Amino acid sequence: MALRVAAELRRGQVVNLGIGLPTLVANYTPPDAGVIFHSENGILGYGPHAAEGEEDLDLINARGEHVTLPPGGAVVSHTDAFAMVRSGRLDVAVLGALQVSEKGDLANWMTPEKGIGSPGGALDMAAGAKRLIVITEHTNGGAPKVLKECSYPLTAAGRVDLIVTDLAVMEVTGDGLLLKEVAPGWSVESVRGLTGAPLRVSDGLKEMDFTLPQHPPVNKVYPSAAEAVADVPDGAVMLMDGFGGLGGMPHYLMLALRDQGAKGLTVVSNTVGIARVSGFGTPPSPDLQAVDHSILVERGQIRKAIATFPVSPSPSRPSAFERAYRRGEVELEVVSQGTLAERLRAGGSGVAAFYTPTGVGTVVAEGKEVREFNGRQHLLEEAIRGDFAFVRAHKADTLGNLVYRGTSRNFNLVMAAAAAVTIAEVDEIVEPGVLDPEAIVTPGIHVRRVVQRPAVFSPFQPIKPIEDNGRG
Amino acid sequence: MAKERMSRDVIAMRVAKELPDGAVVNLGIGIPTLVSNYLPAGSSVVYHSESGVLNYGPLAEEGERDYDLINAGGQFLQWVPGMSFFGSDEAFAMIRGGHVDVTVLGALQVSERGDLANWMLPHRGVGNIGGAMDLAVGAKRVVVAMEHTDRNDRPKLVRDCAFPLTGRRCVSLVVTDLAVIEVAPGGLVLRETAPDWTAQEVQALTGPPLALAPDLKEMEL
Repeated sequence: MALRVAAELRRGQVVNLGIGLPTLVANYTPPDAGVIFHSENGILGYGPHAAEGEEDLDLINARGEHVTLPPGGAVVSHTDAFAMVRSGRLDVAVLGALQVSEKGDLANWMTPEKGIGSPGGALDMAAGAKRLIVITEHTNGGAPKVLKECSYPLTAAGRVDLIVTDLAVMEVTGDGLLLKEVAPGWSVESVRGLTGAPLRVSDGLKEMDFTLPQHPPVNKVYPSAAEAVADVPDGAVMLMDGFGGLGGMPHYLMLALRDQGAKGLTVVSNTVGIARVSGFGTPPSPDLQAVDHSILVERGQIRKAIATFPVSPSPSRPSAFERAYRRGEVELEVVSQGTLAERLRAGGSGVAAFYTPTGVGTVVAEGKEVREFNGRQHLLEEAIRGDFAFVRAHKADTLGNLVYRGTSRNFNLVMAAAAAVTIAEVDEIVEPGVLDPEAIVTPGIHVRRVVQRPAVFSPFQPIKPIEDNGRG
Repeated sequence: MAKERMSRDVIAMRVAKELPDGAVVNLGIGIPTLVSNYLPAGSSVVYHSESGVLNYGPLAEEGERDYDLINAGGQFLQWVPGMSFFGSDEAFAMIRGGHVDVTVLGALQVSERGDLANWMLPHRGVGNIGGAMDLAVGAKRVVVAMEHTDRNDRPKLVRDCAFPLTGRRCVSLVVTDLAVIEVAPGGLVLRETAPDWTAQEVQALTGPPLALAPDLKEMEL
C-alpha cells in the first residue's frame, strides 16, 4: 500500500506523512526522487530513519522517530511548519483513517467508544494540503472502513482526493467513489462486497500499478532577472520592498520588471519610491539615481500601492508616486507598518484575518470591524497575498533555501511566504548542504526561482530615459 | 525679546533620563533619534528597530554604507556584538506583544487626553504612517519629544487633535523645548519648565489648562 502511494508523489512536491501506515511511504520513495518530506515539528527535506546507534534526539519527525537530514534540509518552528500547511505550500498529505466517506470526509482521530482522542496535526493537514491521500486497510475486522457516511467524529469534511487500501485505489469525485485500480487477484465485485459505499468503475480500471514515476529535475536557478520575471502579467499583485530606503530591496529584479514592462501592477510594499527623495538615497554622482519603486511609477506600471511610507518625508521634495497620486493616476491604501507585516504574515500562514489594537480610532479603522478583547478595542485586518514576491536575500542554495544578512530580512521573509511565485535575488547561490539547516530563514518550499545579482551591482544606476518599451 | 528655547539636542538629553537601565527602547524618526547620543556610558538600554534589529549600537561612520544594516529611518548602523536580526513581522510582534518598554515619538499634536497625531498634515492629504500606530498602542510607555509650538507658534499641545490621529490616549509624557508635561487621568500636569521659563509663560503657549505638579521644578539634565 505504501509503495502504491509512493507512486503518487512527484519530484519537487512537499509531502507530509501521517502516523502509522503513511510513515511507510518514505521507505518506498527513493532519496533521489526529489520529494521533500515535511514534518509538523518543523523539519523539511528529512531523509530516512537514522541508523541504530546514530539517533539524534534533536532530529525527529512528528512521530518522534529519529530521522536524518540530508543536504538541503531545513529546520523551522512548529508554528512555521503549520503556516506552510495552511497557506498551500503542502502539495500532498498522506493520512491514515478510521473511516472515510464517499464524499471525501475523513475520520481518523477519535472513536466514539473511547470518548477522547488526539487530533494532533491531522485537522490542519487535511484542511491545508492541496491533495489529501488516505491510506488505510479496506476493512476493520471485516467491517468496511469506506462508507457512505462517517459515523465517527470528523477530521475534515469533503477533503479526501484519493483512497489507497490493501484492495483498491479509489478516487473521490463529485459523483461518489470511482474505482481505478484493484489489488492483484481481486475482482471489482469482491472489492464492492467489502465497501460501504457504491463504487463506479473507471473506464481505465486496471490492476494496481506500483511503478514509481520518473520526473525531470526541478531547476529553480534562473540565469538572469529578465528570465525570472518574464511571465509577470499585467495587473499582478507584487510584493516587493525592503525597508527605509535601499536596504534589502530587490533592485536587480525591479530593474528587470521595469524593462519587462508589465502594467497595472498593485505593489505591496513598505515604501513606494522614497529612497530617491531621502538622504539615504542620495547618489554618489549626479548622472546616477537610486533604484526604487519610482522606476516603475515613472513608466506608468503601477496602478495601486498598499504601503506604510508612500510619500517623501519632505513635502517639498515629492516622490514620483506622490506626483502620480496627485494627478489621480494611482490608488493608495496607507497601512500601519506592523499591520502590513502581520497582514503579509497571515497571508503566508493561511490565516484569513486577525484582530489588532493598532489603528483604533484613526482613519485606518474606517469600514473595519471593531471588537473588544480583554477590555480593549481591536480592528479586524485581512491577510494579503501576492501573485509574485521579489525577495532580497543574501544566499540561496539551488533548492531555494534562503539566508539573509543584517536588517535585510525586514519585509522580505514575510513576503517570501505570501506569494504564489516567489523570486529571490541573492548575492550567491550555493549547493544544498552549504547553508546550515538550523540557520535557514526562508525554507526553499516558499521559493520558486532564484537569481544571482551580478557580481558588480550598485543600487544606483545611470538615469535611463523614459521611452515606450514596445509592450502592449 | 523672544526667550531662548531649548535645542532639539537638549530635548533629547532630557528624554534620555526617561530610559531606565535594561529597558527595551524604540526611538522614532526626528528628535527621538538623537536621544541615543545622550545616554550615560554603560547604559544597558536595548534599542529596538522596526527594521528588524535589537541591541544595535551607534550610527555608522560618515561614508560607511552597509545596506544590510539600517535603522527604521534608513540610517546606516555599525556592526556591534550582541545584535540580533529578525523580520519586520517579528519586530512588530515584539511591539504589540508588550516587549518594548518605552518608545519615543515625534508629534504634530498631542491632546490633553494623550491622543497623538504625528503622521499626516491634513492639507497634504497623504502621509506616512510607518510604525507609529503600532508603537502607540503596543509600547508600555509612549514619550513624545517635540517642539512646544509649530512654526507659526501655535500650540501643539491641544484640547483635541485636529490632525489625523496615530493613536488615542496613548501618550504618557511629553518633553518639549519648554517643558516636561505628564498626561494624567485628569489632564496635563506641568512637571518641569525650561530654564528661565515660568509656568505662566508655558501655559500661554499650551492649548489646554496645565495643572502644576506639587514638585514643579526647572528641567534637570
